Amino acid sequence: MNLDIQVSEHENKNVAQVSGEVDVYTATKLKETLTPLAEQEDKELVVDLSGVDYIDSTGLGIFIGALKASEKSGTSLTLTGLNSRVKRLFEITGLHEVIDIDSTKREEA
Amino acid sequence: MQVQTHVDINSEWGIVAARQAGRKLAREIGFGSVDQARITTAISELARNIYLYANQGQIKIEEVSAGGKQGMKIIASDEGPGIKDLRRVMEDGFTTSGGLGAGLPGVKRLMDDFSIESEVEQGTVITAVKWLR
Amino acid sequence: MEDMKVSMYQLYKDMLTSYLEDKSEHALYHAQQFSKQMMEQDMSPEETVSMHLSVFQDIADDLPEEVTDSFDLLLEVMIGYGLAYREHQSLRDRQQELESELNVAAHMQRTLLPNKKIEIDALDFGVVSVPAGKMSGDYYHYDIDDRGNFAVAVADVIGKGVPAAMSMSMIKYAMDTLTDKQMQPSVVLESLNRVVERNIDDDMFITMMYGVYHPDDHYFYFSSAGHEPGFFYTAKDDTFVSLEAKGLVLGVSPKVRYEEQKLKLDPGDFVVFLSDGVTESRVNGEFIEREQIVDMIRERLHMDSQEIVNEIYEQLEKAQEFQLRDDFTLMILRRKV
Repeated sequence: MNLDIQVSEHENKNVAQVSGEVDVYTATKLKETLTPLAEQEDKELVVDLSGVDYIDSTGLGIFIGALKASEKSGTSLTLTGLNSRVKRLFEITGLHEVIDIDSTKREEA
Repeated sequence: MQVQTHVDINSEWGIVAARQAGRKLAREIGFGSVDQARITTAISELARNIYLYANQGQIKIEEVSAGGKQGMKIIASDEGPGIKDLRRVMEDGFTTSGGLGAGLPGVKRLMDDFSIESEVEQGTVITAVKWLR
Repeated sequence: MEDMKVSMYQLYKDMLTSYLEDKSEHALYHAQQFSKQMMEQDMSPEETVSMHLSVFQDIADDLPEEVTDSFDLLLEVMIGYGLAYREHQSLRDRQQELESELNVAAHMQRTLLPNKKIEIDALDFGVVSVPAGKMSGDYYHYDIDDRGNFAVAVADVIGKGVPAAMSMSMIKYAMDTLTDKQMQPSVVLESLNRVVERNIDDDMFITMMYGVYHPDDHYFYFSSAGHEPGFFYTAKDDTFVSLEAKGLVLGVSPKVRYEEQKLKLDPGDFVVFLSDGVTESRVNGEFIEREQIVDMIRERLHMDSQEIVNEIYEQLEKAQEFQLRDDFTLMILRRKV
């Protein structure tokens, strides 16, 4: 049950590379990393979930929090690299309609 | 005239000196060996708190009597940062001192009477009494 | 109190004397039983050490000075243990206090759930809802509206335990304030969403599936706020399909429209509502597939709805070694005739 987050800063965006399970135990750690990034006014936030196999509902809540924070700061939040199970979760919850999901990177698994 | 002793706490030596003075007075008042050790531990904890969190302060010990009872009083005072949430430090599980892991609730248990006054940025005064049975 | 100590002292003295004489296991067994008595009487470790020394001094003449002195050190060490022991006791008391507070809260929470009997001849209805801990983040609802239509709902607050339970009661109260007694699923969800959006933390949300069955024409209308899809079983074809409707979870955005679907229920047809505690049950470390839930229902088609949900709950509870990871709610609504 661990979660690893690597953040790289680019000129106009921050990219957070997440791997592991995003669940009730690791959600706080993810929140502590994503919220300040989403609050940065001049940079968009891209979260790469290629290394994530599983997200539970608490984990999903963190992305909603990040979405709200980025809306407040006038930037954008994009998720990439979702596997099919994670993608299904965003679809069931209707969140794929409000969060920008870039599905070019990973569809298998 | 009742006995009264002051010990300044500004180093670990001060803690040891306060313990020594406390144990001696406890013995003189007539406390048994278990209570002597308890009183000493209480002094030790209070002195450590001063040393660790306020850098310096004072432990005063004195013989007291009230209502036909005899006892020993410890007054620990400092002008350190003070304690913001007294209720929280008096809760079990919240350990302020790295000492015996007992902190203030431990001191309260070791002694019979206990009171604490603290003001942020002003300092803290803790008074504790053990009665002879 | 003092008398007690005197008698403890005497008992200990007898025990030690007898042990020193014959070194028997019997005396040691007594000592073990004695330790329980000591704890019952709140005797601290330091008092025990001190008692041992006094008894020892009593029965053995001329103890070497080093032995007596060494007890000073032991006594000092034991005071620390004594404090830790007392702290542990007090924390245990506090835990019991919290637990009973939680029991009261859990009881209150159960009173938020409907418990009346459903009396519609055409309907066979069953529901089971079990929290993973004491309090639940799942909520279910059923009611008959003014026109005799039967409304059902399952909601799931993210997370579990007390924070989820507090949000769950919000759903209940919000539903109570819905004035329009003719409950139309999309409208119900739209108004609940407005309440939730205003009152919930930024990183929380609630999912919900709401449906209404009209007994006069046997149509079932439903909408979903990002909720785990249920199932629709048609008796004629003997098939299960996923019960899905588009819609965002409650609490993310203030203005959301919910799609409304309708189904015709023929005799024997039924709909299944569930929470993700059902689909996220892990058996042997693997998530169960939705297909497996379908299979479990299929094996029990001859039973009534309440029996089906009860048995499936029991089977999944057992398969998870009685450790639910999430709140579990399963509901079946079947048209009988």
